Amino acid sequence: MKNLKVLWTTMTLQMKNSFVRPMFRFCLLANPLVNTILLYEMFINSGQINFINYVILGAGLMGIWSCICFSSAGDINRERWYGTLSIIYTAPADFRLVIIGKILGNTILSLITFAVSFAAARLFFKGNFYAPQAYQFLISFISMILSFAVIAIFLAYLLTLSRKTTLYMNLIEYPVILVCGFVFPVDILPNWVQKISFSLPPTWAVKLLRMSVAGEVEASIFLDTFYKLVFITGIYVIIVILLYKIINKQVRKLGTLEMQ
Amino acid sequence: MQNLIELKDLKREFVITKGWIKRKKEIVKAVDGISFEVKKGEIFGLLGQNGAGKTTIIKMLITLLAPSSGTCKVLGYNTYGEEKEFRDKINFIFGGEMGVYKRLSARDNLKYFANLYYMDEAKANKQIDKLLELVDLKNKADVLVETFSKGMVQRLQIARGLINDPEIIFMDEPTIGLDPLGAKILRNIIRKLKTDGKTIMLTTHYLYEADELCDRIAIINNGHLVALGTPQELRNIISGMNTIEIVLEKVTNETIDVIEKLESVRSVEKADTDKGIKLIIKYLEDADISGNILNSLSGLKILSFNQKELTLEDVYIKLVEASR
Ligand SMILES: Nc1ncnc2c1ncn2[C@@H]1O[C@H](COP(=O)(O)OP(=O)(O)OP(=O)(O)O)[C@@H](O)[C@H]1O
Ligand SMILES: [Mg+2]
Repeated sequence: MKNLKVLWTTMTLQMKNSFVRPMFRFCLLANPLVNTILLYEMFINSGQINFINYVILGAGLMGIWSCICFSSAGDINRERWYGTLSIIYTAPADFRLVIIGKILGNTILSLITFAVSFAAARLFFKGNFYAPQAYQFLISFISMILSFAVIAIFLAYLLTLSRKTTLYMNLIEYPVILVCGFVFPVDILPNWVQKISFSLPPTWAVKLLRMSVAGEVEASIFLDTFYKLVFITGIYVIIVILLYKIINKQVRKLGTLEMQ
Repeated sequence: MQNLIELKDLKREFVITKGWIKRKKEIVKAVDGISFEVKKGEIFGLLGQNGAGKTTIIKMLITLLAPSSGTCKVLGYNTYGEEKEFRDKINFIFGGEMGVYKRLSARDNLKYFANLYYMDEAKANKQIDKLLELVDLKNKADVLVETFSKGMVQRLQIARGLINDPEIIFMDEPTIGLDPLGAKILRNIIRKLKTDGKTIMLTTHYLYEADELCDRIAIINNGHLVALGTPQELRNIISGMNTIEIVLEKVTNETIDVIEKLESVRSVEKADTDKGIKLIIKYLEDADISGNILNSLSGLKILSFNQKELTLEDVYIKLVEASR
């Protein structure tokens, strides 16, 4: 109960703190808007019937990823700058709860990107999002959010160990968009890259989302992808759980929770 | 009395890499074998030059850094490994503008931190009101911290550091950046905390502050303990002489002889100055001789009389210089 309160207050605090930051608002609002327009121009001659779905999903996914990526990494660094990271860490409340709370806060906020790209497609191109299998879409969407959050926790943990977080976060932002098939299917990537793709939960989440809006997908194929996503995400959850034990020691050995 | 803090041969090293092309690793011995204990109810001061290792010691005590070796215990628990056992009973205040969320109000900051200490809401709200009053931020309680002045942010930090009503409070240069009045308020808070039975460890570069506040002081240099004791004990280490300087219109050699023969007086120097004749009298520290001196000067016109006591600063400078 008291832990839920920590989680909840951290989440709301994070949403407040993130939203007042111009950079975050840019990621949240302007980014999906621009991406929607760009992707529309790219896909308009693709010959696909439901291409507007891909535009909206693509722009939304890019937006949500940028938000999560920048904030999970950036927030750790910001709190390090403000000197609040050490306070959070040494407080009795579990550090993990606070990290998870922050990421949930950002993740929930970042869902706005979908709304923005949806609205932009509608407004500019009179494009309508079309999801015939509503249940499948809902399941895909929720699993997508969860798998992104798990990845974000994984990243945030790692970044407590380094003061060069901004560098890393810029380093991973775009590759993930490409490698996990946010915009283009993973199939067009070279074989060895695909191996990386398949080891990352977002790849499966995106695949699942695509399927759910494509219409006419066999339930067994959908379920198969869903299980794969659950499996890979599960592996990351285990890694995250084990990783914390290491992180909890290393931050104090290396002294990386503060600026020096 | 009970030892709440216990350091035994405590060491902490940092590895730093130097240079861009040829990466060279260098080991900094920030804390290099320090031992001392702090008793319940004490105000314990850590003094030392920049880079002496004071902050590093405090960070190890507040479970933020792991020791490289040695014992580092708070309330009987190892600060690395048993930190869960006592984190709710300690807190810390670092000087400067750090450690609060700028985009929240003062009250919301304190509310959030109270949550991290698992305080129940009613108790937290009461404590927050009390603390806001204590640090004189009551009428700014609901204003965003980003509009605060440096000193106000720091006072909020003080409130934050006391949110969980800690048994031990660690303060790293808590008065840095506060105006004289603010610093005085903080010193009064520290004294009040002591009367409430709290234990305090603080660092400061203001020696009079340490002298005024601390029951015991440890002087650190280059990661080593140079001296440890009450302010008076520290004075005694280098003690010896106190000085009285008297400026007179004129003085005879007989008078000087009389003064030289007084008990505890060790030397009398005579110097001609623009203002008159200056006598510099050195005498054993504990002696009380000003009355006798004045007696022997009766009938002479005294232009000024100056008794110089050994300050903690004299002690500090001597000890630190000697330890180089
Ligand atoms: N994270 C770190 N990485 C590398 N070196 C460090 C780190 N923290 C401290 N040091 C080094 O350890 C030594 C002791 O630093 P510390 O901050 O404890 O000194 P201090 O006594 O608090 O000094 P000041 O009075 O300036 O605050 C310094 O040489 C410092 O450069
Ligand atoms: Mg310091």
